[in-house]
Amino acid sequence: MSLGFLLLLLLIPGAALAAPVPLTSPEGFRALDTPNDAGKSLSLVWKSSPGDSKARKVQIWMAEGGEAGTPREFKKVTEMPSNARYLKPGDFPWWNQPAAKGDHYVKVPSSQTFPIQDGKRYAAKLVIREGDQEVSSPVSEAISEPNWFNLAQVNNLLFVIAFTGVLLASISAARRNPHVYLRRIAGLDAVEEAIGRSTEMGRPILYLTGAGDMSDVPTIAATVILGEVAKKVARYDTTLKVPHRDPIVMAVCQEVVKEAYLEAGRPDAYKEDCNFFITGDQFSYTAAVDGIMLREKPAANFYMGSYFAESLLLTETGAGTGAIQIAGTDSDHQLPFFVTTCDYTLIGEELYAASAYLSREPVLVGTLRGQDFGKAFIMAVLILGTTLATFGVMIQSDAVNYVLDLFKDFK
Amino acid sequence: MIFFKRQLPLLITGIMGVAFALQYYIPHPVSEEAITHISKWMQIISGFALVLGLASLFQVHAVKIKRQVPGWGYSVILYLAMLVTMAVGLFWSKGETTMNGAQTGFGWIYSYTMVPLQATMFSILAFFIASAAYRAFRARTREAAVLLVAAVIVMMGRVPLGQFLLPWTWDVTQWLLNVVNSAVRRAILIGVSMGAVALSLKIILGYERSYLGGGKDQ
Amino acid sequence: MKEFARWMVSIDRRIIFLLIALATLLPLLHPFGLPIKVSPEVRGVYDYIESLPEGSVFLLSLDFDPSSKPELEPQAIALLRHAFRKQLRVIGMTHWLPGTGLADSIFSKVATEMKRESGKDYVFLGWSPGTGSLVISMGQDLYKAFPSDYAKKPTLGMPVLEGVRNLRDVTYLISLAAGNPGIEMWYVFGKDKYRFEMGGGSTGVMAPGLYPFLRSGQINGLIGGLQGAAEYETLIGQKGTAVAGMDAQSADHFVIIALVLLCNVFYFVLRGDKGRLA
Repeated sequence: MSLGFLLLLLLIPGAALAAPVPLTSPEGFRALDTPNDAGKSLSLVWKSSPGDSKARKVQIWMAEGGEAGTPREFKKVTEMPSNARYLKPGDFPWWNQPAAKGDHYVKVPSSQTFPIQDGKRYAAKLVIREGDQEVSSPVSEAISEPNWFNLAQVNNLLFVIAFTGVLLASISAARRNPHVYLRRIAGLDAVEEAIGRSTEMGRPILYLTGAGDMSDVPTIAATVILGEVAKKVARYDTTLKVPHRDPIVMAVCQEVVKEAYLEAGRPDAYKEDCNFFITGDQFSYTAAVDGIMLREKPAANFYMGSYFAESLLLTETGAGTGAIQIAGTDSDHQLPFFVTTCDYTLIGEELYAASAYLSREPVLVGTLRGQDFGKAFIMAVLILGTTLATFGVMIQSDAVNYVLDLFKDFK
Repeated sequence: MIFFKRQLPLLITGIMGVAFALQYYIPHPVSEEAITHISKWMQIISGFALVLGLASLFQVHAVKIKRQVPGWGYSVILYLAMLVTMAVGLFWSKGETTMNGAQTGFGWIYSYTMVPLQATMFSILAFFIASAAYRAFRARTREAAVLLVAAVIVMMGRVPLGQFLLPWTWDVTQWLLNVVNSAVRRAILIGVSMGAVALSLKIILGYERSYLGGGKDQ
Repeated sequence: MKEFARWMVSIDRRIIFLLIALATLLPLLHPFGLPIKVSPEVRGVYDYIESLPEGSVFLLSLDFDPSSKPELEPQAIALLRHAFRKQLRVIGMTHWLPGTGLADSIFSKVATEMKRESGKDYVFLGWSPGTGSLVISMGQDLYKAFPSDYAKKPTLGMPVLEGVRNLRDVTYLISLAAGNPGIEMWYVFGKDKYRFEMGGGSTGVMAPGLYPFLRSGQINGLIGGLQGAAEYETLIGQKGTAVAGMDAQSADHFVIIALVLLCNVFYFVLRGDKGRLA
């Protein structure tokens, strides 16, 4: 075999590689109503091509669809490089994918250039240009409609329904047996000690319900705990002081404390003004409460609910008066301050657990169990998801996405 | 009467709760218009909450002044301050803090009393943090020692002097914040969010009625 | 030594307060000026604003009151200087009623400095009740949520708001937050629904709690406390009160570290002593 012939054999494949891919009409082009949207938008899909490149441009042309056979006035809507706008994993869930992964997907919303109205037929076509060459796709028609349900979020809805079911089942089970095991929380054992100490010293107990209003979870937990504390206070005949920032919370707490005294069999000991309103302003309230602490020197301070910057101002002043301090909050940004200045701190959900632990109300106990099931599920999903995602990367497969997509939040 | 006080609010809460939970999954413009309409109502109600707060304040301190309870002088000062601010704001300054580029009386009260007072209260935290840290950051246990070491590293890594003297504290601080801190915060966030979802479901389904006020018979 | 250790462990708080006061005051009077290292979190915000084309709509929500002014005002000023320099169209507002006057004065001050005109280059919408409901309302129709700006000028027809119908037309939003309502509220009711890009700024205390949002991409950058503001001032090349305050903050941190370490030394001296006696 001559050298020339060998060189020719080498050159032909090289020449084949260097030659540009001929321009062909985009395969699988179709227009469709954009899924899961509020309308006034269409989507275009077409298959990717080996010739897709930055130099090759794709133009989207659209026209209002008229009667069949009548000429339509196409308008150029946008232009982009042909190697853009691919459908990637994570764009759509597998049960609601408008095109295969790797295909082109372009959403065309209504704009000033080309307004789109719902219920009206529109025609679309692509024009591919590269250098002097140009080729058009067949025309495809579609009607834009608003959607009544976002199918991409069906997994989210199913989880909400499942969690609701678990919660209701837990509450139902707790109603049948309220003595479900709840882990001991150190701060709660100290409540009795704190109230006893206040009684011995003849000093009042100060109870704060935090910065939130009655629609906040921690405030509701704080009022429940107040009820239990008030029952113990009634039995020991100690003074209870509950300054408030919110008039509605104050009204609720007044009823809660009154009820607690009644249940403890001490309605005579109840004082109407143990719950009093100061102000809604953060630092004015803090200054007022600090003043109460310094003047009246309560022996025990309870900080239950949501707190913000005032937390350290309150707890450090309380620490300075020598009071025993028990805090419970889900405001994670204030936890460091409570932990360093208080004797006991209920962190995050321990506050909600405390209200269930003290009252043993079936609804509260059941809710706690339901939440625990939810958290166990999340932990299982975290482990499964991490393992699958890692495995998917190792074997370079997208098949794991069939499971991972079930737990993703798609918009 | 009981129907209006108990059953009707629960019914409204249940229907609106379910409707607006489902609204999240409905992209149709009808659903968007509904939530816009309701948002307007909620904005109006929020505005009324201001009036409620002000009325409560007036009423509470009026009682204190009338009964001359200890500290009633401060209630008089509060009254005077409120009335003067309202008078200056409404009649003199017409609700504006600046007028034609110049500061109004209302603006003066805001800039020279409220701003420095609030900033001062917040500034006290710097001193309290120091005294709290001095008292509490003792290596009594292993966990306390870990807390102490982490706190010292982060305190150094977050200021230019620390970054200058010990450059590695910057990197360790970034790792602590982005890895350890993020993980723990996520865990707390998940737990707290589950609590919020559970409470919302209980309110919608009528299991939680404390927002209606009153005792256990609710 | 033991007596001294005992005294130190239970030292009067006022001595600690005095040391902190001196550590804060002296560097302010005699600054030593150290280089500020920029974190990736702050750079995230800066780089995104740098990448925005001229005329992009930037919404800055100053969700704080005067108590957080020392930390968040420098952040606001640095961001506004950057935005005005990039010729962005700036929309300002606040969810915190007590902070409205402060927010207005910040906008006026920086606009005057950068020679920007209200209505043409920026608009300060002020405050309106509702927090989450307000965000939803803005997401549907900005002009219904804010028919007029803080100076009572009608928003409809303002040159700076041309082409802006609602939050979907906002390119980038930053919430400088001292609490609630703040960044979380803007994400839940705003970004999740209306899909604009979002960044955040917060007090130093709140910043660690926002890292989960940063790590998951819900916010693309975070300016944390006075240190964050100083980093941003360094990036824009215009030093202000934040950089000036970092010397004092450095000194304060070192005083606290020294006190804590000393306290532990004395604590161990006393504890060791008790062990020997036992």
